[in-house]
Amino acid sequence: MLRIALKGVLAHKVRLAMTALAIVLGVAFVSGTYVFTDSIQRSFDSLMSDVNEGVDLYVRGTTEFGFGGVRIDEALVDRVRDLPEVAVAAPSVEGIAQLVDEQGEPIGGNGPPTFGFSYVPEGEGLTPLVIREGDWPRSPTEVVVDAFAADAGSIEVGDVIEVILPIGTEVFTISGIATFGDAENLLGATLAVFEFETAQRAFDAAGSVDTIAVVVFPGADPALVAAQIADFLPDRAEVVTGEQQTDDDVGEFTEGLSFINTILLVIGGVAVFVGAFLIQNTFRIIVAQRIRELALLRAIGATRGQVTRMVVLEALAVGLVASAVGVGAGILIALGLKAAFAGFGFGIPTTGIVLLPRTIVVGMTVGIVVTIAAALVPARRAARTPPIAALRDVAAPPRSLGTRIAAGTAVTGMGFSLVLLGLFVQFGNAVAVVGIGALVTFTGVSILAPLVAAAFARSAGAPLRRMGIVGRLAQENAIRRPRRTAATASALMIGVALVSVIAVFQGSAKASVAAAFREDNRSDFQVQLGSFGDPASSGLSPALTADLRELEVVGSVARGRLGEYRSGPDGGLKFMLGVDGPIGEQVVFEMADGSLGDLGPGTAVISAAEARAFDVGLGDFVRVQVSSGAYMELTVVGVFEAAPIGASLVIDLATYEQYNSFRLDQFAYVQVADGFAAEEVRPAIEEVVAGYPNAKLTNTEELIADTEDQIDTILNLLVVLLGFALVIALLGIVNTLALSIAERRREIGLVRAVGMERRQVRRMIRWEAVLIAVFGGVLGLVVGVVLGSALVLAIGQGFTLAIPWVQLIVYLVLAALGGVLAAWIPARRGARMKILDAIAYE
Amino acid sequence: MNVENAAARVENASKVYGAGDTEVTALDGLTVAFERGRFSAIMGPSGSGKSTLLHCLAGLDYLTSGDAFIGDIRLGDLSERELTLLRRKKVGFVFQAFNLIPTLDAAENITLPVAIAGETPDKDWYETVVETMRLGDRLDHRPSELSGGQQQRVAAARALVSRPEIIFADEPSGNLDSKSGEELLGFMRKAVDEFGQTIVMVTHDPRAAAWADRVVFLADGRGDGELASPTSDQILEFLKSMG
Ligand SMILES: Nc1ncnc2c1ncn2[C@@H]1O[C@H](COP(=O)(O)OP(=O)(O)O)[C@@H](O)[C@H]1O
Ligand SMILES: [Mg+2]
Repeated sequence: MLRIALKGVLAHKVRLAMTALAIVLGVAFVSGTYVFTDSIQRSFDSLMSDVNEGVDLYVRGTTEFGFGGVRIDEALVDRVRDLPEVAVAAPSVEGIAQLVDEQGEPIGGNGPPTFGFSYVPEGEGLTPLVIREGDWPRSPTEVVVDAFAADAGSIEVGDVIEVILPIGTEVFTISGIATFGDAENLLGATLAVFEFETAQRAFDAAGSVDTIAVVVFPGADPALVAAQIADFLPDRAEVVTGEQQTDDDVGEFTEGLSFINTILLVIGGVAVFVGAFLIQNTFRIIVAQRIRELALLRAIGATRGQVTRMVVLEALAVGLVASAVGVGAGILIALGLKAAFAGFGFGIPTTGIVLLPRTIVVGMTVGIVVTIAAALVPARRAARTPPIAALRDVAAPPRSLGTRIAAGTAVTGMGFSLVLLGLFVQFGNAVAVVGIGALVTFTGVSILAPLVAAAFARSAGAPLRRMGIVGRLAQENAIRRPRRTAATASALMIGVALVSVIAVFQGSAKASVAAAFREDNRSDFQVQLGSFGDPASSGLSPALTADLRELEVVGSVARGRLGEYRSGPDGGLKFMLGVDGPIGEQVVFEMADGSLGDLGPGTAVISAAEARAFDVGLGDFVRVQVSSGAYMELTVVGVFEAAPIGASLVIDLATYEQYNSFRLDQFAYVQVADGFAAEEVRPAIEEVVAGYPNAKLTNTEELIADTEDQIDTILNLLVVLLGFALVIALLGIVNTLALSIAERRREIGLVRAVGMERRQVRRMIRWEAVLIAVFGGVLGLVVGVVLGSALVLAIGQGFTLAIPWVQLIVYLVLAALGGVLAAWIPARRGARMKILDAIAYE
Repeated sequence: MNVENAAARVENASKVYGAGDTEVTALDGLTVAFERGRFSAIMGPSGSGKSTLLHCLAGLDYLTSGDAFIGDIRLGDLSERELTLLRRKKVGFVFQAFNLIPTLDAAENITLPVAIAGETPDKDWYETVVETMRLGDRLDHRPSELSGGQQQRVAAARALVSRPEIIFADEPSGNLDSKSGEELLGFMRKAVDEFGQTIVMVTHDPRAAAWADRVVFLADGRGDGELASPTSDQILEFLKSMG
């Protein structure tokens, strides 16, 4: 059987090559994802491995979750240093420092962090920083930057540059350029190192430090020293080993990376899933074409099991080869992913390419399992071939219409129910439930698709008839094998459905954001980060607000700072906002009770949902945990229905700063003073904002446009990545057309003989492809709009459904063009077919 | 025969397939002409080059050397596209089998060449042809719903409907039972007699050839005599004498 199976593979090599390509691409995406993220991880790990080398202990503020935490008292440094067995106690202050180049453009950032560190002479050698040129900062006006930033900003020792700090933008002289160990590039992060006191001032950390690196004398037991330190540490401070600190640093990064990894793997999974449709279709066609051969095997005594095994073995052979190639191609995909991310402004520099055994194992397993699983149905069908088919033309009995309707409806219903359950009930891992539900829905629709394929081609293809016989033949050919057409279209459906879901989400998000801003916003101007930024590692300098408030033309400025908190009742992490200034006048909070104006130290305004969860009302206490692990006890002075800013707890900034060391603002809203016209005073405000190169001033309409752009940027990256699944689906169309044309050799020969020109043949094949593609596109749009609408409705929270019809129609047109593209080679081959070969009668 | 009046002819035609060891000479310096308005038959043993001759005359294949003409158009001068247009306008075909597009009904199959040209068929002529081929009640049937004889009659109707200068038929009754075969040949005869259609038919069946005005014999790619308006017995005798 193995020999027959291998011969079967070889006999259909072109056909199987197309299928194999689908597997190669799917596996390549999956393994490419691993290579991509592993490579990033590896370069990060190698950077971090020697970071804390030589340091025995760290004293630091506690951080339970999120960002910010608290700093520790500077007085602790001396107490640690005074311990008899401590050789070195080097304090460090950290913060965010955005470097600015000569043209006034921010260097780096836009995704990767912009670190700021402090330098103390006794800490030399305890950090991985090495001076490559110049010297450490020795005065309040000096700064050391990393080699990557120096290259990016064309900075040399002795240059004078601006640095945006929490306290404002200041000017420093470059005293040196540092590298991070041997690495020139810390994954795109930039670095600014200041003299210790300067750093304390710059990061708004007077009298406190972030960590103390401790080295004990040779022979001393670090554990004992740790115990001594722990004895006098206050609450919210802890002592950990050097390894622990490294693990925490790596762990945080790994968490962020695993998020990217998951998203990419999901897209890879979609690609594989689409590939499975292709594989199934190809094997079904191959089985149909070999019906006589299979019947003969049955007639001479092969059992059903043997026939099934033979087809499965073929699948195994194909899956094995294709997966191996796919894993190799994954390296190219990893490079492509890097380019795609860079193209969308998320530059991720990596050093070297990492191919872990895990990547190979996962890639091979996924490829082989999916190939075999997809071939299983055709294999079973092959086994049902009656031996008599060897002698007569009888097809294996097709599944009955009733069974198909029942199965398709049941599967679709089940899938959609799962989606709804995941979205609205949110049990278990809701995202996974929704994802699996979507896949099941796709499968269900693909079972139903053959039932409507003919009707679709007849109605949608009606205009083709007006094109005369060429269009008519294209239409008939598309209908002729409804199941093949449907399977091919289904592969495309999946990709189109997913991009449609994104489009619906995108359209709704943009419409909701625009509506919310227009309705709720009372500010004249808004200042926000000019580029994409992680709220935990970038933000606006608080000095900006102070500067703005000094302007005569400015009436009021309200600013907000993001933080995370753990909500008591359900333990989930939520966003809180520390606000300063008359936020309630700038942004309309729909209040259910109380007022934002009453916000002051020790009080909170909370969302109605939180009020329900805590079961509290005005005047009651709520107790929530902040990043450092400490608890805030707050008196509720107001309850709002919907938060235009997305936070569910609002406190005043003083309270925020008491509990959180994060010192950068998320936004500042500006109302001009009475008697001034907003657009007239804009230049004055613009001038202040210009002093903060990472800040961007907008009016409400510009803010809406910017926000829409941001939504587009992120979602378009997803669409581009999903393009991969679409490419595989188009390969499916190529494959199906190639097979159909091979089957129709005689007909093409005949029409050529009676006078059809080559270009007419090409047109005929192209239109057939377009019909299949548009069928897939329409199915995809329908499924996508339904799923997308469910998603938007489930989100709720002022999210209104807006279906971007124009965009969806563009997708449909693109699908049709994809069909034309897919038909390119088959159409040429069809047109070049030798007429005589086709009509020869044997 | 008057070469000027030929609907199709070959001069000194040779056709060689393959090369070296596998070289086969299908036509070997053959010169033959087929008159307008007549029903000609080509006979000869299997492999004697009958189909090859037909294909080269009909613009489906090129000669290796020599010339093929439809009317006074030399086919060797035409580009692939011009040949296609020539087949569409001036030539009709009836093959032994697989003559029809399974997805089109009989009416659509009949008008296929006209439709490919983007034209509408001449209605009177179409009805005349349909009636001649006795297909009036079968027009909306697909090929799979037609008998073999009906299918071949649809093919013949298709060949006639574009009023080609010449129709080539390669064993059109070869796959039919004798009754259907006789019927088809009768209709073809009628097309020649009533409409002045020129038909060249390849056959190996003496009874089929007996419907023709003239029978040309081939052997090993060369002419091997001919008979005018023979009976099937005369043909049989001639074949026997060829050995
Ligand atoms: N495409 C081809 N390639 C090689 N040899 C061919 C081809 N077509 C026909 N022949 C050979 O040419 C000779 C004539 O074939 P054909 O014209 O089909 O004969 P007939 O129709 O009289 O049976 C035969 O020997 C046949 O094997
Ligand atoms: Mg022949």
